[in-house]
Amino acid sequence: MFLALREMRRAKVRFGLLIAAIALLVFLILFQQSLQNGLLTSFVGGIRNQDAPVLVYSVDGQRTVQGSAITPDLEELVRTTEGVGEVGRWSQGTFTAIVAGDEAVDVSIIGYDTAGLGTPAELVEGRLADGPGEAVASDADADDGFGVGDTVRIVPGGAEIEIVGSARDVQLNASPTLFATYDTYLDIVASVNPDAGEPPPNVLTIRPAEGVTDDEVAAAINARSLDLDALPRAEAADETPGVAQVQQSFRIIFLLYGLVIPCVTGLFFLIVTFQKAGALTLLRAIGAPARRLVSALLLQAALIVAAGFALGTLLYAPVSQQRIGGLPLRFETGAVVAWGVALAVLGIGSALLSARRVLRIDPVEATTGSER
Amino acid sequence: MRLALRELVRRPGRFTTATVILTLIAVLLMFLGGLLDGLIASATGAIRAQDADVIVYSESSQAAFARSRIDPDLRDVVAGVDGVGEVGGIGFVQLGARVPDAGPRDLAGVALFGYELAPTGVPDAPAVGEVHADEVLRADGVDVGDELLLGPARSPVTVVGFVSDTSFSGQGALWAAPETWRTVLDENRPDARVADGVFQALVVRGDDGGTAPADLAAAIDAATEGATETLTVPDAVNAIPGVEEQQGTFNQIIGVTIAIALVVIALFFALITVERVRLYGVLKALGARSGTIFAGLVAQAVVVTLVASTVATGLVLALDALLPPGSLPLSVTPGRIVTSIVLLLVAAVVGCSFSLRRVLRIDPASAIGS
Repeated sequence: MFLALREMRRAKVRFGLLIAAIALLVFLILFQQSLQNGLLTSFVGGIRNQDAPVLVYSVDGQRTVQGSAITPDLEELVRTTEGVGEVGRWSQGTFTAIVAGDEAVDVSIIGYDTAGLGTPAELVEGRLADGPGEAVASDADADDGFGVGDTVRIVPGGAEIEIVGSARDVQLNASPTLFATYDTYLDIVASVNPDAGEPPPNVLTIRPAEGVTDDEVAAAINARSLDLDALPRAEAADETPGVAQVQQSFRIIFLLYGLVIPCVTGLFFLIVTFQKAGALTLLRAIGAPARRLVSALLLQAALIVAAGFALGTLLYAPVSQQRIGGLPLRFETGAVVAWGVALAVLGIGSALLSARRVLRIDPVEATTGSER
Repeated sequence: MRLALRELVRRPGRFTTATVILTLIAVLLMFLGGLLDGLIASATGAIRAQDADVIVYSESSQAAFARSRIDPDLRDVVAGVDGVGEVGGIGFVQLGARVPDAGPRDLAGVALFGYELAPTGVPDAPAVGEVHADEVLRADGVDVGDELLLGPARSPVTVVGFVSDTSFSGQGALWAAPETWRTVLDENRPDARVADGVFQALVVRGDDGGTAPADLAAAIDAATEGATETLTVPDAVNAIPGVEEQQGTFNQIIGVTIAIALVVIALFFALITVERVRLYGVLKALGARSGTIFAGLVAQAVVVTLVASTVATGLVLALDALLPPGSLPLSVTPGRIVTSIVLLLVAAVVGCSFSLRRVLRIDPASAIGS
């Protein structure tokens, strides 16, 4: 053990390079984990973190809120389906808002007609909107002119909305998102486009009757018409177009990075062991047990993976507090722990290849001078 | 140099691990690049295809078709600006399309455009009720002669031909006459309805005067007194929400991945150099120059990188072929592959150069044990 630590101290550049490589990989993996979660939350947080257990789209909407349109006959079918308790209307549009004086930004506005059905699940400040011209905004945008007490102006038309509450993780389509009453939503549609007719609701929000599960009520609604597409809340978020592709892309990226780490660590220790073969043979010849040499090797691997992981996490910590292109990142403790365990296993496991080589060393070679 | 290459041929096993790691990194680079290219291509094709100098949106639209409205009076102002040649209206709507023989819930996502000036590769506007379809829609079973039913109103359009690379917002485009677009929009999206003569945007070609597109854009916005936001076609592409953010994020990730490749190569060849210090001492004692020895190391790094890149190219092409259409927006292009290989080669040479100092420090006298 003593030798292992002394060797690391003496060959700082060699071991430092390996630690730097692992730290960079760890940083990249954790950063991308935050990026993935931030991307998904800003993309479908408004669906995942609202309080309606079931959402009903029209099949034409292909599981996007804005693309869906529930015609009056479909709405009637849903309302008369057995197992349906409460029904609400839920619509969403993308508009241009003027915030903080004169800055124009894209904003998603969601209109709901029933409190508790399609309203934000967790308010961090203020209250729900219950009057005309009021809205709850996503907390990630509070510092960008969407804080409680701020007023935003929707253009063209100039309709004004006062922010009366702030809710956690309720962005939709990666833009600032406002939850307003249904009448406020209709007023805004009319103000930006005087040619517009009254739009049908994009989605219906459902609370199942007592004793009926979310899955059961969704199945019952889907059985009523091939034009209806009812999904429990979590499924509605996961099935939003683009979510599966994002997850699949990141899965492939994580797999590749996960493979690179044991390869780099394994290669390093294999070459180091190869270089030290003469010294290791001599140590074996003067009585050092193989187990001690292997332990020293594994200790080095553990220290290097731990140092690389710690350095990578240190690099990641400040970056995880930033916003990237309007995308709020977050320090993902769960991901840090999970990747820590995975990389420890992979990194130290890869050093076992070198351990095998150490175990194969024949002490007699020290006296015969046999070639490796 | 010859010695180094001969070593590669005679003892390839020594370089296998480094080649495998570099192959993985090269796959990562090409995959990330391909993903970026695919995402951008599927989001921007319809704008890139515009055979125009500038695109005119209404002032508060944030360059989004769905929020932009240009009425006939504003169009007349634009048409009267010095330097403006042709002006054409354009409008779009995103809908689900029911494809013949597909399941009742299997809709294809489409972006229907109504246009007056034909984009590059798109024929002039077809008859009312007909559309040219982007070929990506073939993956959804769309064929020439098919009648597609658009949106909840089941508005019928007939496919009369295919065009390529005109996707928008990740959906296959349908190119139709303005009347078709207006009818479909009116029937399916009452909240986005536009009055007769109103378009969402204008596509403008300059006259023969040779006015630069940026100057033309400024002249149009000045003439409309700020009622329009006019962008050159490249600026309009970048103004599509998410395009610049995607490019920035992916390029940062690609940059760090190259840095990792550099560290891996530096590490590998530093270790190889340490391992051969005595051998290099002998070579120097026999008259070999440091430059020759270092050139050998660089040659080995380049060969290892080229082999890894070749294998990675094959793997990425295979992945591209195996992915079901529409599952991932991966676009593997020769340009991206060549760029990735060049970046890796640069990383290889730079990484390898960290060993130069060690090679220079080798004392030939060490070969005779002094």
